[in-house]
Amino acid sequence: MNILTIAILTTAFLLIITGLYLLARTHNMIRIIIAVEIVMKAITLLLIFAGYLNGNFALAQTFVVTMIVIEVIVAVVAAGIAINIFRINGDMNVGKLNKLNG
Amino acid sequence: MSASFAVLMYAFMGLPLLAIVVFNLIGKKRVERCCIPIGYIVSLVQVAVAIISMMLLVQYNKEAINFSQFWDMTVSVDAAYLSVDMFSLVALFSVGMVAFVSFLTGRTMVRGKVFAFSNVMLILMMGMNGIALVTDLFSLYVFLEVTGVASFVLIALYRDGFGLEGSFKYLVMSAIASAFILSGLAFTFMNFGSLQYAAISSAMADGLHLAPGNAIVQNAAFVLLIAGFSIKAGIVPFHGWLPDAYQSAPAPVSVVLGGIVTKMAGVYAIIRLLGDLFARESVVGTAFMLLGLVSIVIGAVAAIGQKDFKRILAYSSISQIGYIVLGVSTGSAIGLLGAVLHFFNHATFKTTLFVNSAAVEKQTGTTDITKLGGLQRQMPVTGVSSVIAFLSTAGIPPLAGFWSKLLIVIAAWQAGGALVAGVALIASLLTAAYFLRLQRNVFFGPAEEHLSEVTEASGAFKLASIILTVVTVGFGVLFPVLLNFMQAQGWL
Amino acid sequence: MQQSIIIIICLVAMVLLGLAAAMFRSMVKAAISLAGISAVLAVALFLMGAPWAALFELSVCAGLVTAIFISAISLTSPDRKQPEKVSEHKSRFASLPFILIFAGVSLIAVFILGGFVIDPVAGQVTAGAAVTFREAFWNMRQADILGQVIIILAGAFAVVILFKEGGKA
Repeated sequence: MNILTIAILTTAFLLIITGLYLLARTHNMIRIIIAVEIVMKAITLLLIFAGYLNGNFALAQTFVVTMIVIEVIVAVVAAGIAINIFRINGDMNVGKLNKLNG
Repeated sequence: MSASFAVLMYAFMGLPLLAIVVFNLIGKKRVERCCIPIGYIVSLVQVAVAIISMMLLVQYNKEAINFSQFWDMTVSVDAAYLSVDMFSLVALFSVGMVAFVSFLTGRTMVRGKVFAFSNVMLILMMGMNGIALVTDLFSLYVFLEVTGVASFVLIALYRDGFGLEGSFKYLVMSAIASAFILSGLAFTFMNFGSLQYAAISSAMADGLHLAPGNAIVQNAAFVLLIAGFSIKAGIVPFHGWLPDAYQSAPAPVSVVLGGIVTKMAGVYAIIRLLGDLFARESVVGTAFMLLGLVSIVIGAVAAIGQKDFKRILAYSSISQIGYIVLGVSTGSAIGLLGAVLHFFNHATFKTTLFVNSAAVEKQTGTTDITKLGGLQRQMPVTGVSSVIAFLSTAGIPPLAGFWSKLLIVIAAWQAGGALVAGVALIASLLTAAYFLRLQRNVFFGPAEEHLSEVTEASGAFKLASIILTVVTVGFGVLFPVLLNFMQAQGWL
Repeated sequence: MQQSIIIIICLVAMVLLGLAAAMFRSMVKAAISLAGISAVLAVALFLMGAPWAALFELSVCAGLVTAIFISAISLTSPDRKQPEKVSEHKSRFASLPFILIFAGVSLIAVFILGGFVIDPVAGQVTAGAAVTFREAFWNMRQADILGQVIIILAGAFAVVILFKEGGKA
């Protein structure tokens, strides 16, 4: 395994770990969205790496382009919902979202 | 012949798109009144086209119809085309049926946001149709996301604290699931060079022979795909988001969420993966068998103690989805048939129950079952359809649920032995238990005083319940005929 | 060889910026770190041979998404006069660097010592069809394009529904 492969795989895993850890530990809603974005970056890296191995860059790039478009729309919707929650609750604390218990 | 087929297939994707365009072009004054009727038309046309296509498939004795939306298929063989086969048609039929019922429910319950509701419902339908139509794993992901975004928006439609909170939690879980699925797809792409169904199944046709390094990657891909789709389908232990999302959604949205969205987004993909693509990978099958069993039991047990109508239905959904996954994980034709049938049956009876809960909520203002009682006299249609729906869920003959559960239990016996089948059967008793409790608390028993003025729900609700009940009963009674027909055709 | 070195530098920068995005207390700085990750990722993608992906990553993620985040943050910043009700100390995430270092070292050790090779050729289905990006995108993936159009439509409706003030939405 050459050093580039090792570096890419390690980076992707570390970014995923960062993203998941942040998702679990944070209290701020917007930071949750940032965590999801970080995981998506890692996946972009993995997809292009797969294309690099296959030699099939064209197909890999189409995947990445579509994925980026989808990720942006999801981020917009998430931010919209977060802003609305802020208007109702007054702060961005995820711990306060406890109306649904039972 | 293929040209006329292609024209029919446009209905699935083109018609909702056309309807959205029409909505946005009509002037403001008239649009409010004709939003929902156009929704009716679109969903009914979808149901009709699905039935016609099923008959065409049988008549011409074809496996599947391939068609392309915009371009000539001879351009490139590797292109991502669209295709229907029997299972997709069953799914498309269910989508149309549940969407029609949801529009019926929405007519009276969606206050002031009819335009937004109809538009996003049509997008949701297009997303689910897309999931059923594609032949490529990555396109599957794309339409999964479309369905997801439409659901987030629908749950948050009223912008109240409840709905927004449920929507946000669902969004986060869905994003994590999509991340897992995409990682699995990236690893699969590394190994196979293409993500098309045809390419992958032909490569797996004689078993998977991979170099050791690639095999590790492929196993990682399997784990990630299983985890991701299990989150989407609401299988234990990834089911945490499901009760909250179902409970916090507005009533017509709960109908479509519980009736079809969770199943299309999660279970349809699992059936495709297990039934077509990775059918020979025993590791994947065993994992799903285990997950299915656990979901059946835990879903049923958790439903017994709940106080809210919709949460009981949510946990019941988790349990029934466990049955479907159990059926398909056995790998036999009987299991697959049972799973597909249970998919369809669940769409009918669970939707009936959600419609009834919407009717109860509209008439009494609450979904807390400790506060309800004795509604049988005041809401007879709702009560009776509820009874039939829950009998079908518990698997009582001659209703439709009995047949699909029987097939799944038989397949489980053949594949996993008596223990697996026994657990599935015992869970049926638990199902009957929690539904009996629900029925007793809400409909039977003495009438509560503060509910004395409650009347039967309006015509739209009655129509929805009656249609779905007729389908449940009719399908159950006619099933032996269907079975004979299928054996004559040589499918079993 | 020189290219590989630059790519590796970019990858290391990505991990460090990721750490920064997690640990900054100020949300604006976290959003800007995210933009930094996108920019560095775009450079790495370009050097690996994927120019179109790099283009989209740079323009959309480093540009558009950052703008969305910053507007969301400014719309939801708590009132300056009141003290913040919940402040996230850096110490909440203090264990993250150590986790990352530990995971990184063990992963590298596993990869080097495990000695397994990902062989791209064995197990290939279609020998990498050497089509251009243009052909692949517009001819072969039209189902995806349809999906993108629909999801953009959904996003437009979402913005209208979620942001419209009063009146009928």
